[in-house]
Amino acid sequence: MMARFTALLALLLTTLTALPAAAQTGPLRLEITEGVIEPLPFAVPAFVGTGSGGQAAQDISNLISADLSGTGLFREIPASAHISRITSFSSPVQFADWKAVNAQALVTGAVDVDASGRLTVQFRVWDVFAGQELGSGQQFVGTQDGWRRIAHKIADQVYSRITGEGGYFDSRVVYVSETGPKDQRAKRLAIMDYDGANTTFLTDSSSLVLAPRFSPTGDRILYTSYESGFPKIYVLDVANVSRRQLPTQEATMSFAPRFSPNGQTVVYSLEAGGNTDIYTMNIGSGSSQRMTSAPSIETAPSFSPDGAQIVFESDRSGSNQLYVMSSGGGEARRISNGDGNYGTPVWSPRGDLIAFTKQSKSRFHIGVMRTDGSEERLLTASFLDEGPTWAPNGRVIMFTRETQGEQGQAGLYSVDITGRNLRRVSTAGGASDPSWSPLQ
Amino acid sequence: MNTGQIISGAGHLGLIAWILFGGAFPTKPLDFDVTKVTAVSSEEYAAIVSRSNSPEQTSEISPPAAPDVPQDSPDLSSEADTAPAAPQPDTATEATPDPAPEPPTEAQEAEVTDEAPVIEPPAEDMAALVPETSQRPQQRPAERVAPQQVDPPAPDTAVDEVVREEAVPDETAETPREEADATAPEAAATEIVTEAEEAEVAAPLNSVRPKTRPDQLRPAPQPEAQPEAQTQTAEAPEPEVAEPAPAPATDTSSVEDALAAALGGATDTPAPSINAGPPLTAGEKDGLRVAVQSCWNTGSLSSDALNTTVTVAFEMSEDARPIDGSIRMLGSTGGTDGSASQAYEAARRAIIRCGARGFGLPAEKYASWRNVELVFNPENMRIK
Repeated sequence: MMARFTALLALLLTTLTALPAAAQTGPLRLEITEGVIEPLPFAVPAFVGTGSGGQAAQDISNLISADLSGTGLFREIPASAHISRITSFSSPVQFADWKAVNAQALVTGAVDVDASGRLTVQFRVWDVFAGQELGSGQQFVGTQDGWRRIAHKIADQVYSRITGEGGYFDSRVVYVSETGPKDQRAKRLAIMDYDGANTTFLTDSSSLVLAPRFSPTGDRILYTSYESGFPKIYVLDVANVSRRQLPTQEATMSFAPRFSPNGQTVVYSLEAGGNTDIYTMNIGSGSSQRMTSAPSIETAPSFSPDGAQIVFESDRSGSNQLYVMSSGGGEARRISNGDGNYGTPVWSPRGDLIAFTKQSKSRFHIGVMRTDGSEERLLTASFLDEGPTWAPNGRVIMFTRETQGEQGQAGLYSVDITGRNLRRVSTAGGASDPSWSPLQ
Repeated sequence: MNTGQIISGAGHLGLIAWILFGGAFPTKPLDFDVTKVTAVSSEEYAAIVSRSNSPEQTSEISPPAAPDVPQDSPDLSSEADTAPAAPQPDTATEATPDPAPEPPTEAQEAEVTDEAPVIEPPAEDMAALVPETSQRPQQRPAERVAPQQVDPPAPDTAVDEVVREEAVPDETAETPREEADATAPEAAATEIVTEAEEAEVAAPLNSVRPKTRPDQLRPAPQPEAQPEAQTQTAEAPEPEVAEPAPAPATDTSSVEDALAAALGGATDTPAPSINAGPPLTAGEKDGLRVAVQSCWNTGSLSSDALNTTVTVAFEMSEDARPIDGSIRMLGSTGGTDGSASQAYEAARRAIIRCGARGFGLPAEKYASWRNVELVFNPENMRIK
């Protein structure tokens, strides 16, 4: 008995002694499940200007920094903190100097203006801590007047190389420009760069205009105008600002139009006989098809990116809710299930989310949800937020915010889909109902 | 049944009866604290929410004037980007200027008198009404999100990953001390708080009641033992138990057989690799984990990259700094090659950045942490 016990004890002790060593025979392995969410520090030292490109070099590097900082995903290391100076585009980068100021990404570039006035801009993106280039160097050539677009294109490249998803800086926004008091507000269509620069008016304010929507290629704009006394849908060619009315029945109201992803079809609402339903129309032939036939109000339709489905709002349940139906017609399924009223749904260009307006407890919100209605997340809250539109990369939402009171004015705001980086978009006067173009 | 059992039964019955009816269990209810609460109506709540979320809190950017003359479209061409130039809105047709704003009306002059207002002195022992909620503006949640909440540093404190008190020169000291500013980590919240969520938390969470009197203070509860310490104790090696027990004099053959089998099994194990050595304690492992995760920034990762788990291996020098050239991706799950590359870049930056000062691991256990494999799993970061 004693001998057996001793043998067992010896076996146990031998095993215990061997265990720690056995646990350390491989590499130390740990799982990291928590991190931080903060802007990534970057530096854009002034591009090297040659010829007469000195001012353009400064302007372009400043605009690239502004684009990246404006996303909320990046934080600029100010030039005053830089240790290294970039004096030649081809010189090696002193990574230690940039590490010292905690710049994790570095953008270097050079600008040249030749005798004919052509602007040539070269740039490189560096991963400072890896000590290597992200992607490869690239060059843009354009006119001096087009320096902003060149800067936006470079910023898009930098954004894409660091985050792994497309940018949205070289894009434009069409919106309704508003002037005058609330009871006599003049509205006309305006178009601008995504950051508010280069505003141009597309219509005059002689008649009320609503809900402009870009085509998938950005060359046309749908909008609703009261020019004829009834709301009618027009399509405007952006290149020459010519327009034509889409054919609809007389004495009916058509509104809330949007393009299909292939740009050949328009989905819209049509009110006839006191009932509002959703229709589609082939732009080329003018033939239309009724998609819903309910006694309730169906409006604000929006195609999914693959064109297979349509999301819209309806009050068929007694309150405004969101529904999804096949673009070929058929039964619609309700996807919104929270308290309050939902409206103006817009499908994300990525196809994974639907943005919407929600009214609940005397507050308006911009929110996002999965396409099946799950994971609803409210991003904003104010007296009046409405009309979301997606950035081309599906990461940012722009919308209208109107302040309270007789002196209240509408303005454009943008917010990241995480709810961070809420900021006002600079516009010339009041602005509402934005529509974001695709990348140019 | 004998007499003893009868006596025992009677005694137990008596004891039970005394417990039930004799007052062993007092009927007096236990003391409990009563706290007055204040109900807030829905209108008042809406007013509170409205005040704390007005759009004026966001940064206002003065709108630039619209250009009078539409600019020509830039004629862009590129060697790498050959997309056709997009059509440009060259001009507005029949655009009419905005109506000029009406001039502001003249402000009425306020009537001012030289007589100072008479202030009634308060009556003695008059009770003063104090607001039940603080009127101070609420602080916005920190933009930075980290595993642990970090309060904003003092105004004169520089932001740094290392907490350091301000150092001033001391002329009386034998060795002069170098002057240095105080540093503290950047403020951080544990999750993203949207504007909509801010509105929900704008309601008062605590009433500002007077503090309890000192004689009612109860001793503070003892903090619970740290799990790390427990784990460290459990994992601490105990070399003294390694001594073999003396063999008994009897039945030596079976004992020797058992020992031979045990030792033979031990000698059959493969030779320890380069990492053989004393193991790291759980606390030391946690220290390394926390150091890396404090630099693992997922804020700029794409949605696809946030669905990608990457395993990264690297080697460390004896001063516990990662050797940059040794960092490599062993594998990835849940994403595309592109998203894995983005996730790996973020992981590599975290290792290099926070390893620059060394991870502070015990040198005597170098063999245990010389080679490291870290699995970066962003699942929790997707729902922040």
